[in-house]
Amino acid sequence: MKRTIPLLIVMILGMMFVVHTFVPHKISQDFYNWYQTWLKVMVSFAVILGVGSLLMVHTNKIKRKAPAWGYSWLTILALVGTSAAGFIWGIEDGTPYMWIFENVNAPLGATMFSLLAFYMASAAYKAFRARSMEATLLLIAAIIVMLGRVSIGNAITEWIPDITQWILNVPNLAAKRAIKLGVGLGMTATSLKIILGIERTYLGGGKQ
Amino acid sequence: MMETIGIWVAAFLTLSMFSFLYKDNPFYKFAEHLFVGASMGYFIPYTFFNVFIPYAYNPLFLRHNYWLIIPFVIGLGYWFRFSNNLGWLSRYPIAFSMGIVGMGVPMSIHAQILVQMRTMMLPLTNINLILIFIGTVSILLYFFFSKAHEGLYGKFTSVGIWFMMVGFGASFGYTVMARLSLLIGRLQFLLGDWLGLIK
Amino acid sequence: MNFSDYIQKIDRRYIFIILAIAVILPLLFPLGLPTFTTPPVLSLYKHIDEAAGTDDRAVFMDFAQSPSTLPELYPMDLAILRHCFLRDIKVLTISYYPQGAAIMQMAISEVKEDFPDVKQDVDYCNFGFRNFALRVPITLGMGDNIAEAVETNAAGRRLENLPIMEKLKNYDNIQVCMEISGAAPGIIYINYARARYGVDVAIGVTAVSAADNYPYLQTGQLVGLLGGLKGAAEYEELVETFANNDIPYSEKKAQNLSWRNQQYELSKVPYKFKQARIGMDAQAVAHVLIIIFIIIGNIGYFIEKRQDKNKYVK
Repeated sequence: MKRTIPLLIVMILGMMFVVHTFVPHKISQDFYNWYQTWLKVMVSFAVILGVGSLLMVHTNKIKRKAPAWGYSWLTILALVGTSAAGFIWGIEDGTPYMWIFENVNAPLGATMFSLLAFYMASAAYKAFRARSMEATLLLIAAIIVMLGRVSIGNAITEWIPDITQWILNVPNLAAKRAIKLGVGLGMTATSLKIILGIERTYLGGGKQ
Repeated sequence: MMETIGIWVAAFLTLSMFSFLYKDNPFYKFAEHLFVGASMGYFIPYTFFNVFIPYAYNPLFLRHNYWLIIPFVIGLGYWFRFSNNLGWLSRYPIAFSMGIVGMGVPMSIHAQILVQMRTMMLPLTNINLILIFIGTVSILLYFFFSKAHEGLYGKFTSVGIWFMMVGFGASFGYTVMARLSLLIGRLQFLLGDWLGLIK
Repeated sequence: MNFSDYIQKIDRRYIFIILAIAVILPLLFPLGLPTFTTPPVLSLYKHIDEAAGTDDRAVFMDFAQSPSTLPELYPMDLAILRHCFLRDIKVLTISYYPQGAAIMQMAISEVKEDFPDVKQDVDYCNFGFRNFALRVPITLGMGDNIAEAVETNAAGRRLENLPIMEKLKNYDNIQVCMEISGAAPGIIYINYARARYGVDVAIGVTAVSAADNYPYLQTGQLVGLLGGLKGAAEYEELVETFANNDIPYSEKKAQNLSWRNQQYELSKVPYKFKQARIGMDAQAVAHVLIIIFIIIGNIGYFIEKRQDKNKYVK
């Protein structure tokens, strides 16, 4: 009841979807439409997974008075405040909800990841070493691509963008294709494991 | 007026984030925690107005499609995810949504494996196609661990490593580009939108 | 302390300052370096432009974005929307990420400011946010009937009642599915929409994942690719030289750099339409700086290695 029935649901639906892919019969189409309608209703409630998890982490921090617990209040306040703005004034253009996005969320998110540029520059200086033949190949390819993607490369010689395009179209393509074939097989194997009930971590919930 | 305030708020938060480059400090912590909360805060109204209302509320309560009570009740199971005793109820909607992976099996075999292999095996009419073929095969053999990488076979698989290194180099070059673009974007905002120095 | 020690032990904050200066100076004093275009961008532009003036073809845009990718992907959003509005191409938009939905709204309203005649639900339709778990079902459902799969637009109006949807039934009416994404770009559309319904797919990606997608270009699973700020800059310039002057795409003209520069000069584009291109000067200088960092770092490494070797020999 607690674990077997959900596993059976995945197994039956999974098999039916494999069949659905190859059988364009009306029954198969009706099955798909039914699934779509029901799923749309169910996922309306899935928002609790993210919100609940964040709230639990921060309320626990506050309860335990963990280091910097005061900032957890700020996170909760921001969550409640942003949501409240959406519910009170709506989510259209020109509302406080969109103002918060444009002036709080967008700059914070963009800046947080832009910090990586500095650490990468530092790593380029201190860590990227041509220690072996393979590392040298990697660095040379990287330098050519870095030059070939900006106009300075073109200004030095028109060959640099051409070589860059060749690197991307030939050796890079071969490498990425081989990796993709591996990933594709892995994805297929994982999907089969889920359908057959071998992979079940997505259900969570320990031993219950 | 609101636009100007917005730009100043965004500039303050941008500088608070950048302050981490010097060292961890209260301004950075403030910005970081605000970001986490506000990001999640977006989820709730969007889901309510764009998913719950059109897909659950309207069909059930306005168009009286009472069959939908069943998925409605199953969907409520998500809300018990964090309960110790009733957490298992959340497995039902999760299991239902996982069912579609069945379709992923034939689809990903087709798109990720068969199409890629078919293109790889086109007539090898020029040097580039031959190189792509050799590169892909040598990399695949490099990851085939049932045979020792010795002799001619070992030499061939080491060709695979060279191809991979060039591929990783290209990705690395692009990664440098990506990270710098993010920084450029923020500095463009500070210098242009905030200080008005870019014309 | 000798030279190699000095190189190894320099405080990283000096490196930070040098990088910041290398980016700030070209932003304040642009070098005006020309943007050259690459085949995947030209191919996408051409493909989208072929739908100009038709009312039974639309470009479908999926905004799989978050603020962390804003500087790279937002200029792409703007450039593609501008292209479509300038050339009278119908646009449908959706996002399965809440923050992507906000970015989508921001991009549409920013571009729409310059196009007062472009009407919502007539020339473009914003489907709004949908939960991520619905991505595969909706992508597949659109192959049969877009209005049934998506149901409503962002404002909650049913799609079958909207004028734009009159001639847009399914993927047969989609010129290209364009996913602009900071995550796993295009996979859903390649695996499902392309494999099952044969629709053309293109992607706009952060530079990090650009190189990973070249196998899809060779197989034809992607008809175009915009990679990072550079891809956005290229597309921006194509929009400026062709669409802005209402000129249909021509490969001959696209490859004629002097003609394009002339068109570009004539159009006198304001700052907001060349965001990506302004950034490219800074990008070029910063790339050179990173290469110099790598070279200096390696010089220090080899000097140290030689010193160690000499010690061992003595």
